[in-house]
Amino acid sequence: MGLTFLVPAFLAGLAALAIPVAIHLVYRQRHVSVAFPSLMFLRKVPFRSMRRQRLRDRALFALRCLGLALLALAFARPFLEGASRLAAPAGGGRELVVLLDRSYSMTYAGRWDRAVQAARAAIEGLGPDDLATLVAFDEGAQALTEPSADAGRLRAALESVRPGAGATRYGPALKLAQERLDSSERPRREALLITDFQKLGWDGQDEVRLPEGAVLRWADLSASDAANVAVADLLLQRELEGGRERVSVSARLTNKGGRPAGAVGVSLEVDGRVLQNEKVELPANGSATVAFAAFPLPPDTSRGTVRVDADALPADDAFHFTLSPGQDVPVLLLDAPRGARSLYLSRALAIGNRPRFRLKTVRAGQAGAPEIEAASAVVLNDVPPPTGAAARALKRKVEAGAGLVVVLGERSTAASWGGEAAAWLPTPIGATVDRAVERGASLAYLDRAHPLFEPFRGPRTGDFSSARFLRYRSLPATDGVLARFDDGSPALVETKLGGGRILVWTSTLDVTWNDLALQPVFLPFVHQLVKHASGHAEGRPWRTVGEALDLSRFGEGASSAGAGAARTEGFLAVSPSGRKAAVPPGSLELEEAGFYELRRPGRGGEGAWSVAVNANRAESDLSVLDPEELAGAVTVAGAGAAAAAAGAPTTEEREQRQALWRYVLMGVFVILVVETAAAHRLSGGTAARPRR
Amino acid sequence: MSRIAPGARFLDPKVLARVADLELVARTVVEGFINGLHRSPYLGLSLDFAEHRAYMPGDDIRRIDWRLFARTDRFYVKEFEADSNADFLVLVDASRSMGFGTGEVTKLDYARVLAASLAYFAHKQRDRVGLVTFDGGVVAFVPPSAKHLDAVLHTLDRMRPGGPGALHEPLSRVAEATRRRGIVVLVSDLYEEPQQVLEAVRSLGHKGSDLIVFHVLDPAEVHFPFQEPGGYEDLETGERIPVVPEQVRDEYRRLMAEHVAALRATLGAQRIDYTLVETSTPLDQALFAYLSRRERTVRRR
Repeated sequence: MGLTFLVPAFLAGLAALAIPVAIHLVYRQRHVSVAFPSLMFLRKVPFRSMRRQRLRDRALFALRCLGLALLALAFARPFLEGASRLAAPAGGGRELVVLLDRSYSMTYAGRWDRAVQAARAAIEGLGPDDLATLVAFDEGAQALTEPSADAGRLRAALESVRPGAGATRYGPALKLAQERLDSSERPRREALLITDFQKLGWDGQDEVRLPEGAVLRWADLSASDAANVAVADLLLQRELEGGRERVSVSARLTNKGGRPAGAVGVSLEVDGRVLQNEKVELPANGSATVAFAAFPLPPDTSRGTVRVDADALPADDAFHFTLSPGQDVPVLLLDAPRGARSLYLSRALAIGNRPRFRLKTVRAGQAGAPEIEAASAVVLNDVPPPTGAAARALKRKVEAGAGLVVVLGERSTAASWGGEAAAWLPTPIGATVDRAVERGASLAYLDRAHPLFEPFRGPRTGDFSSARFLRYRSLPATDGVLARFDDGSPALVETKLGGGRILVWTSTLDVTWNDLALQPVFLPFVHQLVKHASGHAEGRPWRTVGEALDLSRFGEGASSAGAGAARTEGFLAVSPSGRKAAVPPGSLELEEAGFYELRRPGRGGEGAWSVAVNANRAESDLSVLDPEELAGAVTVAGAGAAAAAAGAPTTEEREQRQALWRYVLMGVFVILVVETAAAHRLSGGTAARPRR
Repeated sequence: MSRIAPGARFLDPKVLARVADLELVARTVVEGFINGLHRSPYLGLSLDFAEHRAYMPGDDIRRIDWRLFARTDRFYVKEFEADSNADFLVLVDASRSMGFGTGEVTKLDYARVLAASLAYFAHKQRDRVGLVTFDGGVVAFVPPSAKHLDAVLHTLDRMRPGGPGALHEPLSRVAEATRRRGIVVLVSDLYEEPQQVLEAVRSLGHKGSDLIVFHVLDPAEVHFPFQEPGGYEDLETGERIPVVPEQVRDEYRRLMAEHVAALRATLGAQRIDYTLVETSTPLDQALFAYLSRRERTVRRR
């Protein structure tokens, strides 16, 4: 327990101790003059000590010095650190929830150290009847301790916390505090929020209300002049040149600060080797794009990083990504003998490289098991299903995870889809619906929540309503309907066969029964149709901290093929910090920024997958939220429930509770009284007053 | 030994200082003193023996000196000064230093009342009283005369502290102006070396005058009770020196005591009566003590 001061600057007043010394030692002749009849005898007395006067009345001097010293101490507002007994106010114990922000913005300019100090001060300020819970939060909140009065345990928990790579969200933390305070039986309930009050952390949508009477205090670690340069985003563009894939990387940089950033260095690294360096000028509160020259895509999955010069917030100075050679989707198209029906379909599938469809068109009846085995998706373009070995191969392939697209047309009848293949369809094929008289039907419903239609969720992303459907097959399915015509008839139905998907399109994909092939939306629709059927998921070059990596569908962005292949065995995950953990099949939470490595147990690094993870770039914006606004939103107006603002609330409050300055001032008063009495007593004899 | 009359308590100098009429004060002092002398075995007001003369029929047989008769087997009577109407001259130091006082009475006030009392006393004995006030020179001079009591009292009443004092010059002038022997009383604070004081006073006795010196001092000048360090300024010269009283007090007292002893010895060796009087001492007490001591001295001659 040590003595410390709230305003130590006032201790400079101790210099005033020189005043009584000066008074006692300095002889001020001009202020005292005694008229004496004759100096006849005084002249004869040797003045041996007139050059220096010794201190008279040492006790009086000591009293005056003590009084001045205590006055300076009182103004310095002393209080005892760790004096929990002294600090405990009357009125029962306190339930305290300490909410410690560990998002990566807290690594900015020493904020984390100050945060730890504030948390430590809160722990030291606990009274004997108080309970405290330490909660660390970023996008989620985690209680590190149970409510405890054990300061040692709380300190140990505090020592174990480190700032992470997550972004800020106040909702979960405040919700946790609400739950803890609601369940508390203590008369006083407080939440202490230690954070840099990032604006992005609070959108006002979280429904959090601290209990009535609970007080929200905070330690505001923000700075109005915070500045930060970050690599905000990347754009990777692939192109084929001379049969070889090349990649060009463009990086968008942002400058969140009031001053321009000049000559910011930006570098592109691939597999640890710096390929290019650039310099860029960034305006205040602005952004700029740096385009690196295209480079050949390495044959295997590579790790890439775009890096800017380090600044006060290093977590967003690097943007990681992985690069994998392009993955073709082999598609087997079974067409009618004449083949011309597949013109639009085959032309659409020939365009594009994300993914690139490696299309093979075979006449129906001529597809063999080998062609089927090599395909990720099989399109039956208004042809009967294969039979025999091809049928078995197709069934086997679909069950293993491949896809089947069935396009119904004139030749697609219930009879032609008899036998085992009939089970592939959700319902037997019905009659043809002729809507020519009505000038054709239109697509009235699309399940835009379905992944197949994900690209079409936004406005102006594809107009299906303009297509006219003169004819379509009736398919009275009720489950898995992804699209309907205006009369409610299913237009697109999805069903499962083992691990694979079967998509049934009840009209043609040419211009015989509809004019969809003439609409701009035809090409992306066909691409989505085949891609979804094949189970192909485009490799994501990077992910964001906080995401859960689905290991069961792993292959996304992986170095080896096997998209959609289910994993039954776990992985050994190596985090960017080098921490290794055995991860069972399921998902892996990505907690760190950098490169995760997923290894198959027992195989070392052979065939390992790399996953690039970046911190949430929203956290790069250090704009400040008004603490009062947050407090007003989460506290309930009531007696004693006003949110308390504090620069250093815990320290100030402790000092206010102890109020040692009052006792010190009382001591000063007593000393002044004693000094006055002593000085009066010691003043003694009278001075000469001549009569004139 | 006569005891002090009960009314003499009234003769506190502080009380006397508040009495405006100096004659009243002097009369009060003297009559109070005289009351105290009423039981004295000595008749007559004057106790100063002058000479013997042969007994003449009609003389007061109480004046017969029986000791001399025992020696000479003849009758002689004592003749006293009072019987001869002598000049009684009071010299009062009115220099600036006499204006010093730590109580309600300054030395000059005390000297004023003392001189007035002595003048009144002498006038009652039908002596011719005169007055000289001086500082560095003679300030005022009232020639001795049986009719000059009022003038003396008036001059004493108007007396104020003057300039720097010195004894030799004014006393020499007085000595030159004095034609007849008589009684010369000097009232001063005597801030000069004892030898210088003697030189100055002795000149007054060249015609056989009886010299009496009253050394008047304030108690603070004797005991130096001051506490505050400060610059001490000489009232007469203006000189200032820094003084820390507690450091000089013992030495000062010793020097003052030596000075008084030296004066007493120096003046006494020349048969000059010397009396130290502090202004805190009641005046009648000081007078009685002096006169009683003088009477014993006279009897031993």
